[in-house]
Amino acid sequence: MSKAKAGLLQGTLDMLILKALFLGPLHGYGIGQRIAQISGDELKIEEGSLYPGLYRLERRGWIESEWDVSENNQRAKFYKLTRAGRKQLIIEEQNWERLASATMKALRAS
Amino acid sequence: MSRVKPTVNFIHAWRHPDEIADEVEAELRFHVQMRTHSNIEKGMTPDEAELAARQSFGDFDQVKVSCCEIKRGFPFDLKRLRMGMYIAIACLAGAVSLWAVNIPHHNVFSVLWQLVAIAVLMRSFLIGRKQDRPHSD
Repeated sequence: MSKAKAGLLQGTLDMLILKALFLGPLHGYGIGQRIAQISGDELKIEEGSLYPGLYRLERRGWIESEWDVSENNQRAKFYKLTRAGRKQLIIEEQNWERLASATMKALRAS
Repeated sequence: MSRVKPTVNFIHAWRHPDEIADEVEAELRFHVQMRTHSNIEKGMTPDEAELAARQSFGDFDQVKVSCCEIKRGFPFDLKRLRMGMYIAIACLAGAVSLWAVNIPHHNVFSVLWQLVAIAVLMRSFLIGRKQDRPHSD
């Protein structure tokens, strides 16, 4: 049986970006890699869709960015979580847990 | 404090749109280059690696346009601004009505009248917000 990679539910990309940055500052490519890594390579993010998500989060003040030098000595834009972003991550995690448990309850109903 | 930087970015994006477009393009190009290097390390030829990187990225120009538009987007929650606008209208309405009936503004009734006006408008704001909110996440 082939192992299908899970697509992302709407609204979960923001939470995953915040979670990836909770572990430390990263550039956009690194964020995609880290999400794949922490999900055990189960979550597949369309690479281009990551950037509008990053810009939206920055506009909301949940992350901030600055240009720096990457691991291969190229100029790259690094993102980091702000204090507001940390609070938002907690809220998103709580909402997600509530939604997941309610959905499981509904699916198990006979 | 977290609103300061987004506001500065918003103003900068409107004042220097070309600079923002170049910055976005540089960031997206970096991503494609990193993916290309990764593909080469997996054994692809440089041409194959670049083609695969571009394909996995998606529509480069469309992503660039989306990012530039978001960068120029208004960095405040309009619902919160609406609440501020309601309060301002309430205060103005209270002041005008007090002026119309000629009650001195230090009078206790004037304060009560303004509080009632604010409460009524706040309530209408909260009802409006409840109706705007989606039923499920």
